[in-house]
Amino acid sequence: MTSTKNRQTLWSRLTNPKYIMVYATIGIFLVIYAFGAVAYGDKGFTTLRTFVNLFIDNAYYGISAVGMTMVLITGGIDLSVGAVASLTGMFLAYGTSVLGLHPLTCIAAALVMGVGLGLLMGWVIHYLNVPAFITTLTGMFLARGVCSLISRESIDIHHPMIDALAGWKIYLMRLVDGQWVKVKPIAFINFNVILFLVMIALGTFILQRTRFGRNIYAIGGNEQSAKLMGLPVGYTKVMVYGFNGLCSVLAGLSYALYVKSGWNLSLQGGELEVITCAVIGGTLLTGGVGYMVGTLFGVLLKSIIPALITFNGNLLSWWGKLATGGLLLLFICIQRFVVTSARGRK
Amino acid sequence: MSELLEMRGITMQFPGVKALDGVDFTLRAGEIHSLLGENGAGKSTLIKCLTGVNRMDAGTIRLDGEEIRPASPQQAIALGISTVFQEVNLCPNLTVAENIFVGRQPMKHGQIDWKTINRRAAELMARFHLDIDVTRPLSYYSTAIQQMTSIARAVDIQAKVLILDEPTSSLDENEVQLLFNVMRELREQGLGIIFITHFLDQIYAVSDRMTILRNGHLVGTWGVSELSKVELVTKMVGKDMDVIFNLKRADVPGDAPYMLKAEHIGDTEHIRDISVSLKKGELVGFAGLLGSGRTETAEMLFGASRATKGSITLDGEDVTLRQPFDAIRAQIAFCPEDRKRDGIIGDLSIRENIMLAVQSRQGFMHPMSRQEQTELANQYIRVLGIATPDCEKKAGELSGGNQQKVILARWMATQPKVLILDEPTRGIDIGAKAEIQRLMLEMCGGGVSVIFISSELDEIIRCSNRVVVMRDREKVAEVDGEGCTQQDILKIIAEGAA
Repeated sequence: MTSTKNRQTLWSRLTNPKYIMVYATIGIFLVIYAFGAVAYGDKGFTTLRTFVNLFIDNAYYGISAVGMTMVLITGGIDLSVGAVASLTGMFLAYGTSVLGLHPLTCIAAALVMGVGLGLLMGWVIHYLNVPAFITTLTGMFLARGVCSLISRESIDIHHPMIDALAGWKIYLMRLVDGQWVKVKPIAFINFNVILFLVMIALGTFILQRTRFGRNIYAIGGNEQSAKLMGLPVGYTKVMVYGFNGLCSVLAGLSYALYVKSGWNLSLQGGELEVITCAVIGGTLLTGGVGYMVGTLFGVLLKSIIPALITFNGNLLSWWGKLATGGLLLLFICIQRFVVTSARGRK
Repeated sequence: MSELLEMRGITMQFPGVKALDGVDFTLRAGEIHSLLGENGAGKSTLIKCLTGVNRMDAGTIRLDGEEIRPASPQQAIALGISTVFQEVNLCPNLTVAENIFVGRQPMKHGQIDWKTINRRAAELMARFHLDIDVTRPLSYYSTAIQQMTSIARAVDIQAKVLILDEPTSSLDENEVQLLFNVMRELREQGLGIIFITHFLDQIYAVSDRMTILRNGHLVGTWGVSELSKVELVTKMVGKDMDVIFNLKRADVPGDAPYMLKAEHIGDTEHIRDISVSLKKGELVGFAGLLGSGRTETAEMLFGASRATKGSITLDGEDVTLRQPFDAIRAQIAFCPEDRKRDGIIGDLSIRENIMLAVQSRQGFMHPMSRQEQTELANQYIRVLGIATPDCEKKAGELSGGNQQKVILARWMATQPKVLILDEPTRGIDIGAKAEIQRLMLEMCGGGVSVIFISSELDEIIRCSNRVVVMRDREKVAEVDGEGCTQQDILKIIAEGAA
């Protein structure tokens, strides 16, 4: 009797209600992509280049969204990520261009700053019992303030290593008559894209394959229960904010490579973009639910809208904000529905 | 039989109160031992000392002959003392399997071994005769299965002592039987089980011995066959049962006017067809199984859900109840079933909780002064005998029975014409139950018409002038409270119309 239950069919595994949100994200992405393919297929919307550009243009948000997803799953929030990423850019730009330091030294300093701030905020949130919203808002102001202390002007980054890293790319190839040739139109992936995908993979491994990751879900499900089940709640929460700090720094590095400069006002409101990616990727703001695959598609979904607007050519870019707002609203409604129906079954 | 757990002279002092005074308690391996007492008798405190939530001031605990002093729930679990609470303390978003293993998942190659987790979880649940998909989220399943999951976790941790704190209060009859079977099996395997419940029948159905506490003192320990139910209650309350339940049905004159008349109300979803009439000062009981439409009818009479057909007249006038506000204005009051979720606001004080409905009826443009509020709150605290130092105590910190009284006070303060009480006595001890029933009947005497919903037929029969029996979302019979027996009603519920 139980042996049949043990050997789960692929179907029953796929129809597990816990994946509903991820399916919604992937489904809506496919619908929008299909729309783009029909409407702008002749202008080249379906090319590989358009597709990889979705990654290239938003990799820094994606990297940050990996950490944010974990924070949201614990039921917390982190508003400091945009400012911390921006500060990382300032470290790199000021350090290399003004102080003449090696970029690796600057990155190391940024890591100490970002992870340290994350751990500190996590500690305040858990042990001093201060709401995450307020704690990380404070973190945001602190980081943004230091940005402006360093410089109020945009600083260009000039360093051979940074240039090399930013310029490094792998062209996508295709096999034609036994010969590898570049796909047309030219498409490539760069360091940022790889970092993004590696972080998604790392995030998935942590969340699905380690006790630490499962504790994150347990805390988001019911923190009190997690405590009573003997899980290390405090440690987990502090480490999650620390990890998110790491992600913010990597996102800042990625952004610096993308724009090759540091500016104290860069990525203003970036934290909200990142939260948006995670939420339309199916992460519940109330905690306990979320998947990295969902976040990956959340990033793609958020970046396909500006792409569509560019292809249209006649629409103002502000339509992008409107569309993103609409998507967010749609997802919050779906979440509400899912949560309510899950409760109704009891 | 060997003594598995031995607690001697446990004393626990809270500011102003001695919660436990030299209590002894022993548990044998392979027995189910009921722990009894009214709210505030010290059951919870004793359990909290055992599970490391509270530090006792004096006394010793021996487990398997060795002295232990658990300082936290985690330590207690590590020692082999696991607790399953009334509210399931698991994570609703994790799967059944994961809830059993979280924090101690089997690992393989540095990764969580999901296959083993799911297989072992399915085996554990199968031992409880539950053939369910353990990879679905816990929230997908009923409270009974969630509780089984809790027990499975405790058992798999190799518990020696399993504490079940009010596990049955949200289960239906079949689920209770399932739980009992599991308990009996665990007893066979040599576990010591401490069982806490308010349901006297269940104590006799499943336990071997019982220990009674009263006001922090040990009354004694008996085998279940040594003590009759009446003796048991007498020992728990310290008074005679007859005195507690010396209640008289409301006296309604034959020509009393009808206060509320609902004719053929229903909607497409919850209720098929219900007609109910209530005379001034009358108490009508709603009997029926969970899901038979009792609560749904009450919600419809309160405007919380809308009737799509039928008519309601109140005090001779037609009324349309679109939302609770309409009902409150028409002086209908409703105490919902789940007082934690729908009734009591735990973070607000007793005064604020009592004021909610009054204020809502008056409108926010006419606030009452703080002094008026305090006077009103204190008046009800006195009348209802709510055990609290003052009216500013947070309602969430009160015991279940006292919380129920606060909700009663909230609606009494609005001076309702019709009062609907949905399971007002659930999960509270027998003394508090009797008191709630007495208050209901007193209100009837004051001319209020009361609808009383309860799963416990004996209390429905004891209090009601008439009993409306529901089944499958409609009214199947209406019987006089006087002279009817539990058997009569059970028969109607089982077989349909009388």
